[in-house]
Amino acid sequence: MSYKIEIQSLNAWFGSKQVLQDITMKIKENVVTAIIGPSGCGKTTLIRCLNRMHELTPKTKVTGRVLLDGEDIYSENVDPVTVRRRIGMVFQKPNPFPMMSIYDNTAAGLKLNGVADKHRLDEIVEKSLRAAHLWNEVKLELGKSGASLSGGQQQRLCIARALAIEPEVILMDEPTSALDPTAAAKIEQLIRVLAEDYTVIIVTHNMQQAARVSDFTAFLYLGRLVEYGSTKDIFENPKSELTEKYITGEFG
Amino acid sequence: MSRIIDVGLEELSVMLCRMGELTYETVFLSITGCLNGTNVYPQVHEMSDALVSMSDQAEDKTFELIARFQPVASDLRTIKSYMKIAYDFARYSRYALDISYINEQLGGLKECEEWISEYIEKMSEKVLNMVRTSINSLRSHNTELAKSIAKTEQEVDEMYFGYLNRLVEGASTTSKCTISSVLIVRYLERIADHATYICESVIYLATGEKTTLR
Repeated sequence: MSYKIEIQSLNAWFGSKQVLQDITMKIKENVVTAIIGPSGCGKTTLIRCLNRMHELTPKTKVTGRVLLDGEDIYSENVDPVTVRRRIGMVFQKPNPFPMMSIYDNTAAGLKLNGVADKHRLDEIVEKSLRAAHLWNEVKLELGKSGASLSGGQQQRLCIARALAIEPEVILMDEPTSALDPTAAAKIEQLIRVLAEDYTVIIVTHNMQQAARVSDFTAFLYLGRLVEYGSTKDIFENPKSELTEKYITGEFG
Repeated sequence: MSRIIDVGLEELSVMLCRMGELTYETVFLSITGCLNGTNVYPQVHEMSDALVSMSDQAEDKTFELIARFQPVASDLRTIKSYMKIAYDFARYSRYALDISYINEQLGGLKECEEWISEYIEKMSEKVLNMVRTSINSLRSHNTELAKSIAKTEQEVDEMYFGYLNRLVEGASTTSKCTISSVLIVRYLERIADHATYICESVIYLATGEKTTLR
């Protein structure tokens, strides 16, 4: 199993406040890696650094290296847009474009990237909706507004939109926190299926979710990486006392 | 899409079925060696070691499933039952090892009076059938098959006590044969007990009912 992403001595700031401190970790390809930790520990910032989204917020700073297939995405000659095409993102709240149809929502990224051929668009839209396990539910109403779908379906639509531009890595920032348990269970099952073809990194405040869906888990506390290992080891036999206390609910 | 926990449960189920087949072979080999007077202790030892290691792996897997999936209802019953069954399988192999050890140390039943080997052969057939029943009922979660073990369990118990009574009442044999045959019927009776425990676990995981088949 090779490493898709290598994070080396990563630091991140909001203004003068340092929110990530010296994070070093290697993320394997085609597995699900969960990032857990209490609110404010830097989970979301960490994944936003992985596709150069952190720098989109004013007065932020990043130092260190993030290697994608061995190449530093923070090198001067690397275009951040290309990075974001290779590393897609799904957010906490389903955010389909409300005025767009299901079809157009799925094809939005493709169109922005210059794909205009209708036949090709049709193919990719179907493929992406199938991969997001939404196709059977929407195939007869692709012209309907994306906002007309249920919360769970909207989130799967957002996943389809992310998949349409054929990323290699999918970042998910608490993708089920706005969903009911049934819709959340479907997304969790989908995450497992996606890991067969993609490298998935998920931020979650729900420890049980991390335990269920991930192969590897990283525990962050106050901006530092406390422990990182196989999910089995982290949840059965954590090495750090801090991890033990967090996952057994003593704090957090 | 299937539930995420199903992948782990299936893995565990396959693991147990493999264990089941190996335990049957182990028990069969040790009994056959004993009846034929062949020393099979080294092979049985190897198989038994493999089974203990498989039992540890199954236990690890159940532990992982509990830690990661917080199972409830039928999932929880299945995991609990699989953990017990893995232990029962390990016990089969332990008694098989004991039988082959007695055979190696004290000689096979071939040197004993004919009625002794005939008696133990008959008892062995019943016990092997029970082992097979336990494995098959586990494979298909067949509660009717599991319940059917109760009758043979009673017969094996009767044969066990019947054998002890016959010796107590003065059946003549050598002290070497007395010791080896008593230990062997004891181990067979214990294997039969564990086959019954497995069938009870199968009923529990399938229905939630705690049944005693002994």
